This record gives sequence, structure tokens and C-alpha cells, in this order.
Amino acid sequence: MNRALKRISIAVLVMFLLLLINVNYLQGFETTSLSTRPFNIRAVSQSNQIQRGDIETSDGVTIASTTPTNDIYKYLRTYSNGPVYAPVTGNDTIFSATGVEKAEDPLLSGTGSQLEFRNFIDMITNKPQKGATVQLTVNSKAQLAAYQGLQAALQGTNRVGGVVALNPSTGAILAMASYPSYDPNKLATHNGTALNAYDKQLIEANPSPLLNNATQTTLPPGSTFKIVTSSAWFAQSATRNPNSMVDSPQVLTLPQTTNQLHNDGGEVCGSAGANGQTTILWAFSQSCDTTFGNLGMQLGGGALKNQADAFGFNTNLIIPGVATAPSQYITPPSLPLTAFSAIGQFSDTATPLQEAMLAATVANNGTLMKPYLIQQVIASDLSVVDSTSPQQMGQPISSTTAGYLNQMMTAAVQQPQGTAFAYNANNEGGIVIAGKTGTAQNTLNGASPNPDAVFTAFAPAANPKIAVGVILQGAGYGASAAAPIAVAVIKAYLATLGIR
Amino acid sequence: MPSPAVGGQPGQTPDDVVTSRRRTELSMIAFAFGLVAFAFISCALSLKGQHPSTIAEYMIAFMIIILGAHLAIRRWAPYADPLLLPLGTLLNGLGLVMIYRLHEVGRNGNPGPANNNGTIIPITTLTSSAVVLQLVYTVVGIGCFVAFLVFIKEPRVLQRYTYILGLIGVVLIALPAFLPDSISEVGNSGAKIQVAIPGLGSLQPEEFAKLALAASFAGYLVARRDVLSLAGKRVLGIDLPRGRDIGPIVTVWLVALLLLVFESDIGTSAVFMGMFVAMIYIATSRTSWLLIGFFGFVVGAFAAAQLFSHVHIRFSVWLHPFGAYLTQGSQPAYQTAQGLYGMASGGLLGRGLGNGMPYYTPLVQSDFIFTAFGEELGLAGVMALLLIYGLLVQRGLRIAFMIKDPYSKLLAGGLSFMLALQIFVIVGGVTRLIPLTGITTPFLSQGGSSLVASWILIAALARLSDTARRPPPRPIQEEGLTQVVSLK
Repeated sequence: MNRALKRISIAVLVMFLLLLINVNYLQGFETTSLSTRPFNIRAVSQSNQIQRGDIETSDGVTIASTTPTNDIYKYLRTYSNGPVYAPVTGNDTIFSATGVEKAEDPLLSGTGSQLEFRNFIDMITNKPQKGATVQLTVNSKAQLAAYQGLQAALQGTNRVGGVVALNPSTGAILAMASYPSYDPNKLATHNGTALNAYDKQLIEANPSPLLNNATQTTLPPGSTFKIVTSSAWFAQSATRNPNSMVDSPQVLTLPQTTNQLHNDGGEVCGSAGANGQTTILWAFSQSCDTTFGNLGMQLGGGALKNQADAFGFNTNLIIPGVATAPSQYITPPSLPLTAFSAIGQFSDTATPLQEAMLAATVANNGTLMKPYLIQQVIASDLSVVDSTSPQQMGQPISSTTAGYLNQMMTAAVQQPQGTAFAYNANNEGGIVIAGKTGTAQNTLNGASPNPDAVFTAFAPAANPKIAVGVILQGAGYGASAAAPIAVAVIKAYLATLGIR
Repeated sequence: MPSPAVGGQPGQTPDDVVTSRRRTELSMIAFAFGLVAFAFISCALSLKGQHPSTIAEYMIAFMIIILGAHLAIRRWAPYADPLLLPLGTLLNGLGLVMIYRLHEVGRNGNPGPANNNGTIIPITTLTSSAVVLQLVYTVVGIGCFVAFLVFIKEPRVLQRYTYILGLIGVVLIALPAFLPDSISEVGNSGAKIQVAIPGLGSLQPEEFAKLALAASFAGYLVARRDVLSLAGKRVLGIDLPRGRDIGPIVTVWLVALLLLVFESDIGTSAVFMGMFVAMIYIATSRTSWLLIGFFGFVVGAFAAAQLFSHVHIRFSVWLHPFGAYLTQGSQPAYQTAQGLYGMASGGLLGRGLGNGMPYYTPLVQSDFIFTAFGEELGLAGVMALLLIYGLLVQRGLRIAFMIKDPYSKLLAGGLSFMLALQIFVIVGGVTRLIPLTGITTPFLSQGGSSLVASWILIAALARLSDTARRPPPRPIQEEGLTQVVSLK
């Protein structure tokens, strides 16, 4: 029996050796790979024991901070003016994060490799570890004006709208408001039931408040696309200028069809008469569809697409912390459709961000700056860990063309024939605003018979400091619905610069 | 070092007096007490809202209970192996510390899991009296330990009750299968392995059945070992048993299958089958029995994995712990993953008692308690635990080698192997060496049945070693043909 017992003993020894080898492998070699596996609550929980860094605006207003709690995690994320800043900050739930909260999570939560040395120092000096503060480019006054404008125009409707304001010379996003919005505080709760209920409500809502309408919703740009058409037209010949004469028929009969293109009210363009000519400046400021439809057919879909692409259409913009959708210009398959595409109809779509980029390019002498939201990241010891420097995205138009467009956009707001004249009325103090209205028939607005209101503007025209793009779905004329919001944002921002 | 094992052998000279080694035992117990007290204090310092008096009370109660067992050994089994009781003490004590630590989860302002409302809650299955209850189970366990030593003076007495013990074992194992789910099912796990008496608690009869069946197998196999080792046909160099002798192994195989199918208790079924095969091998030294038993179990387990979804899930979770079952939220997958995450977060030296997050692993106080040690004591801690277990099994096997009487030898070998196999199955299961099957971790897991059964196992080994090492009766007078001896 002892021989068998001996073999059994050897088997037992092997069993224990296997167990010992296995725990050594598990706890000696696999620890790192296991800590990044799915559903590892321990890893999540650990990151939530550190005080998350704040998010603040460029003018120093804290829009996301933390308060100590006594529940499962040590700190609760709180957002001041939540709905106003929701598209800017994003949200940070116990399960996931979006927007800036997600993009800068390693630094906000204090786990980023750039913070390792500081964390080590904090540990030695026994200071509580804290995440880095993220400073955004957003201006609180401009942001508030943008959101309040949207809210006043859209509250109680099921229509969406968005506003983006850019610093033309840097690309810094000064405001980014979306309506409808949501309260990120309700998503930051540690109460899983309440969180899931609110999340479900947001996901089921139509239109979705989670969508950033300023950068993710594309709507027809309408007549604001005439900036692109004019740019392409100026680029074709150096002899062209705002006073060049262009055909301005009262009715444009489209080739290959019996369809006719009329101006908005069927009116004559300027003093041209039924089949006469007028300056492009006049046609632009009065926003004559026949003129630009005709120019579009002369330029052709290819030239228009190249010009649109240069302005950022059909491009997936990568902006850290901002979810974007590309604006669209598709080369039209026929001449009549080219005419429609030249006045921002057909398949043309744009985001409010794209609208702001159009104005910003003109304002910045033809150079398009890459939009960015995150100005800098400041560690808890006040040293700058990361900062964004302005970056050029391209030169869609020459500075001469930019000058021409500046003149024409100024005329659209400042001269009596201008579509936005009535809503500016020269009474914005000394601020000279330049802009272009758009009023787009949107077949997708089924139930709502109103066109989408679009406005893109910059100010002051002589020395631009801010460019704004506004789109309001189904709100009516660009001049009456969208322009006042842009004006409010411009005034609010210029006031902070001391320009009144 | 001269082994004390030779002490009981005939032919010794009168000078070669067998030492009882009770003092060694006492000093080793003191060492175990020191470790347990240290663990208690380290744990209390990491946790919030702890009172030194509470720990002192627990520690003193524990020490009194164990010293009672020590005195009982001095009185009724003076030649027992000196390491059995200290090793059991250390494991039982560390188990108490861990249950005390897990009991504090979500209590007294200590961190814990949150419910859906974000409020921190204690581990739901650990009531406020869990630590006291575990101490009471220790008292009952030591009570049974002492009773075993008092009433069973000779292991061979058990041989007389071979069939009665066998019947008791089978009835205990089968009992939960015939009871309604409300009484026999553990939680919603599908495992029907307990007998719950409302208001009193629950009992896991299989823990005791394993011991009764070990004693029964030993008796049966000793009586039949000659018949069983008679070779039948020889096929491929292996002696196959005769058809009529294969009956018992088929019976046991069927009982194991019954456990698997009707009670969803894969772990106990494996331990049970393994113990039987090992014992039949020790009894007959025939490799054929080993192979038949092994392949019988493998075929049974494979068939079960194909036929029963709950067995199938265990297999796929073992192969792909972070695969589809985890993303679908299957409980065994989630539990396995959290156990592994816990051990990973412990690393080499652990987070320290009271500093980890073991509460994220479901059922951490019972099946997964080993991973809680891995998380808070680290690789160093679990290696030490495995070595303590290994030492305990080694003492058991050593006793088996020492004993001359075949019945006792077989019983000691069988019990030791069963203990080893149970540790292998549960520790291997939670560390993903083998598929996870839910059985208790001897001495450590929360719950009375397992602890009491473990102490009875230690009592049986103590009694067996006492018999083996006890010196032969001393002659009272020196001369003459007829010797008068004193039989105590």
C-alpha cells in the first residue's frame, strides 16, 4: 500500500505546485493586463477616489468642479449653468464620459503620464492628489448670450439650433451653444437608477438633447453659400471685383428643364430691370438667387466643390473635446442642380461651426484657422502641462478676395438693400458688423413650413475679433431669426474687449 | 533530526522514550495566536470605527476555544501529531479575521459596494452577527473535535460501521435533491446543496457526507482489496478488473453524477469521485482502477458540459473569462473576472488587510475568500496560505505512511487526499487553473458546516496519528514469561 500512497503523495505535490505556479503567474505577471480588462470596477473606483480637476472658461469662470460626498466615491462632479455649457464640457458619469471630460480624462483624473512626477511629489509631501484644471477658449459672456438667444427662439418647439463663435485670427472657439440641451449634473449623479432614468429620457427624446447641434447637426446653408460661390468666381479672374457687372435676370430659366429660378419674392435684382446686369456687390447684399444660380452654372460643380472643400466642407474635423459631423457639398449631376447648389440648396448642408468658419476665413484675410476648444491644461501646482497653439487649416481664398467679400458682407448688413439691414439698422453703437443671411427651404422640415434661418457674420468689419455662425431649424428668415442671436453674441463678446 | 514516527514501532529500547510533543504543539499554537492577533490588529487599524475591546473579545474567545482543544488532545490523544491543531488554528483564525474584515464592508463608514441609489451597503449575505456566528461555529467545530477524540478511542471502531456510514453518506448527499428548492437551493445559484431550517440557519450535509463516505470506503476497500486486486483480463498491459467487481465504482460514479445533475454541485462531485479513485488505488495498487476512475470522470464531465448549460457555462468561462459571457453579464463569468481583478490588484504584497476592494467580487466570503486574501495579502500571502494547506496535507499523508493497520492507513490517506483535492478544486477554480466549481475553502470560508467538518477531519487525523505514535504498553514487571501490562 505504501507504494501507491507514495504515488498519491507525488500527485498531491504536483497539485500544490500547479497552484503555486498559477498564483505566481496571476499576481506576478498578469496584474497589468488584468487591470485594463472590461468591467474592472476596482480600476474605475480607484480613479474616482482622486479629486477631478476643474474645467473653466477663458475668462476664469469655473463651469465644472467637484464637491466632496460621502457615498461610494469621494467626489461628485458638478456643473454650473449645466445646459448652457453641456456641449462644451460634455459629461462625466460613473460609467462613461463625453466631450472635454472624455478628451482630457487622463489629465482631469490625474492619471496622465505628464502628471506622474507631480503625483509622486504630492505623495511624498502628503498632499491630496488632484487632477489638472482644463482651461477652455470659451468666453462665458458670449456663451451665455448664444444659449439665451437659442432658448428664446426655440423654447417650446421641437426644432433644433446651434451657435458657434470663433476668434478669426486663431480659431479659438469663443462660444458653442446647442438647443435643446440637457443638464450634465443629472448624469453626474452616483445614483445609478436616477442616472439610467435620465439617460433613457435623453436617448428617447426627439430631437436628442445629447447631440451637439453646433457641430454635429447639418442643415442647408441657404444663401450663406453665396460666399463660396463668390469666392470661386473672384478666383477665376484677377480683373473681377465687387463692382464687376453680372447678369441679374428677374427669372432664370434653367437649361434641360422647364423649371425657372426666381428670387425670393420674385423681385427684380437691384436696378437691373428684367434682363439687365448689376454689380456683384448689389446682387450679394440683396441675395439675388438668379444671379448666383447663373454664376454657379458658369463656374460648374467641380469649381464649386473645390472651393467648398477648401472652406472645410466634406472634411472630418478633428477637434479634441468636440464631436463633429462634416458639412457637405456634393458635385451636382446636372446644370440645373448646379444652379441650386450655388445658392446653398440641392444637397448642400453645413453645421453652425462651418458657417462660423466661412465668416472667420473672410475676417482673417482668407486664412482659415483650425478651430480648437482646449486652451491649456494647468496642473494642481499651477504649471502648464499642455496648451494648444493656433494652427492654420488652409488658405481657401486670397487676401484680395477676402477683402472683396468683406466689402460685400459689410454691405449686406450696412447698406439699405442688404438683407440684414433692417435688423442691424446702424444702431449697434459704433460696431460695424459684416454678414450674410441664409434662408433655406428644408424639405426635411415636413411638419414645419418655415425655412431654416442661417446667419454668418464677423465684427468689427475693419478689424475683426469674432466670427459667428448661427443656424436655427425652421425659424424663418435668416435676417429676422438668426441675425439677432449673432448680433447679441458679438456685442457680448466685444463688450468684454472694451469695444462698444 | 530523529523522527518521532519511529517511536511507536516495536523493538524500541526502553531508553528511546516516545515524547508526546504536546509542548511543541502549545508553542506552535502560541505562534498561530500571534499571527492571528497581528492580522486582527492590522485589519482594525486600516478600517474605520473599530474598538480595540471588540478585537480583544474575539481574540480571547478564540484563544480559549483553541486552548480547550489543546487540553482535550493532552487528555485523550496525547501522542497526536503536534502540527495538526496549530495549522487548523492558524487557518481558522485567518478565516475569522477575513470574515471580520468583510463584515465591516459598508459598515462604520468603511467603503463598500453601492446599491442602485448610490448608497454604500454591506455585503448582503453577511449579517451584522456574522463574526460572532463564525466564532460560534468554531466552538461547535472544536466541540465536535473533542467529542470525536472522546468517543472514538480507536479508529478501527469505525470499520464496524462500514455500511451504516455508507448509507448515512449517501442519504446526506441525496437529501437536498429530494427537498423543494426553497429549502435546498443556495441563493439563486441553482445549486441544491443545503438544508435550510427557517429561523435557524442552514446546513450543507455534503460536508459531513464526504467524511462518512471516506470512512465507509476505507472499510469496504479493506475488506475487498484482495478481490479487487485480482486481475481479470490484461489489455494493453493494464490489468482490468472482473466485471462483477466493477459494481462499487459504478455505484459511486452514479452518485457523483447524481450530485452533478440534480444538485448542480460539480465541485463536490469531483472531490468525491477523486477521493474514491485515490482510495481504491491505495487499497489495490492497481493502475487500472486509477485509469478507469479518471476516464470515467472526464467522460462524465465532458458529457455534462455538452448536456447541461450550467456546466457548459463554467467551461467556456474558464477558457474565455473575458469573452461573451462576461459582456452578457453572466454571474459565473462576472464572479470569475472580479476574483481575478481582485488578485491582480493585490499584486506581490497585497493592499493590506482592510485596504482592498474585495466586496466587488460576489460571494467573496465563501467560494471566493481565497481571492480576498490574494487582494489584501498579495502573492506573498496566498503562497503562505497554500504552504500552510500543503503542510496540513503533508502531515496527513505522513500519518498514513506511519500506520500499520490497513484500515487506518487507507482512511488517513483518503482524508488527506480529499483535503488536498478540495483545496486544488476551489483555489484552482478561483485562480482559473481549472474550471470554477463552487465549493468551500476549508477553514476559511464563512459558514458552519464546512468549518465543523474540517475540524472533524483534523480530529480524525489526530486520532489516527495518536494511535500510530502511541508506544506499546510497558511491562509492569521486568521478569517472567507472563507479562502483566496496564491497558489504559
